[in-house]
Amino acid sequence: MLADDPPSGDQLNARVRQLLAGMAAHGDRHLAEVERDLVQMDALLDEAIKKLCASFMAIHHAVEAQQQDLNAFQAHTLSLPDYAARVVSQRDEVARHVGDAVTGLQFQDMTSQLIGRMIQHLAGLREVFGALDTQGTVLPESGDRALLAMLDHISERVGMHCAALSVASRSTVNQRHMNSGDIELF
Amino acid sequence: MNKTILAVDDSGSLRQMLSFSLKAAGYDVIEAVDGQDGLDKARMQTVDLVLTDQNMPGMDGLELIRALRKMKNYQNVPILMLTTESGDDIKAMGRAAGANGWLVKPFDPARLTEVVRKLIG
Repeated sequence: MLADDPPSGDQLNARVRQLLAGMAAHGDRHLAEVERDLVQMDALLDEAIKKLCASFMAIHHAVEAQQQDLNAFQAHTLSLPDYAARVVSQRDEVARHVGDAVTGLQFQDMTSQLIGRMIQHLAGLREVFGALDTQGTVLPESGDRALLAMLDHISERVGMHCAALSVASRSTVNQRHMNSGDIELF
Repeated sequence: MNKTILAVDDSGSLRQMLSFSLKAAGYDVIEAVDGQDGLDKARMQTVDLVLTDQNMPGMDGLELIRALRKMKNYQNVPILMLTTESGDDIKAMGRAAGANGWLVKPFDPARLTEVVRKLIG
């Protein structure tokens, strides 16, 4: 085929298919990451709220029990040594529940990171659609060769965004549960 | 006199939980909102331990640790990373940068306090 020969219908078809496939794959990768992050965020929030509710109820019951013991002590139905022992026991129990609440309250930090990632992926999707922008290019009447060149250019831009996604999509939040994480001293 | 801990994290709620837990255990806490703020505060006062997040805008945790280790008065101060990340590769980077330990979020206040006491009393 000579350089001046107009592109064949097959060539145009192949380019269009390549472009559409690239768009679909790239868009799907972004959306799959957003979906993954939403599922993870839902799980973390669910656990965090359960933890916080449990801590709240436990602390509420502990405070009620403390008040009952104080009333009993004041009514002389509970001796001082017994009252003191119960105060110490309740203090330790409350501290444990407060600790659980502190662990649960850290959900905001993790979900904020996941939301940040989702925003990056949505911006990536916008860039993919932006790559389709022909920027007002007007094709001449016999524009098949120009059309082919434009399709090549758009495909190349979609490909560049695909490569950029591989770098950007590393997740920094892998927690699936709101249990406290590992500790390692070097 | 209480030992002082520098807590570096770009999450306000996380800093609040850290301060609450460490102060309850008897430590003084200085909060920093990111790596650069942490470095600035570390220069103003030598603390007894640094607890830092990794992923922060501008200077991240690893960069902060490397900068601190270049300072004479921070050669031997224990530095712990407190982060959502748990991969072996990034832990190795933390260790190479000069971190003394790696804690994965979310933290448990009792376990955190135990580790801090082990390092600075």
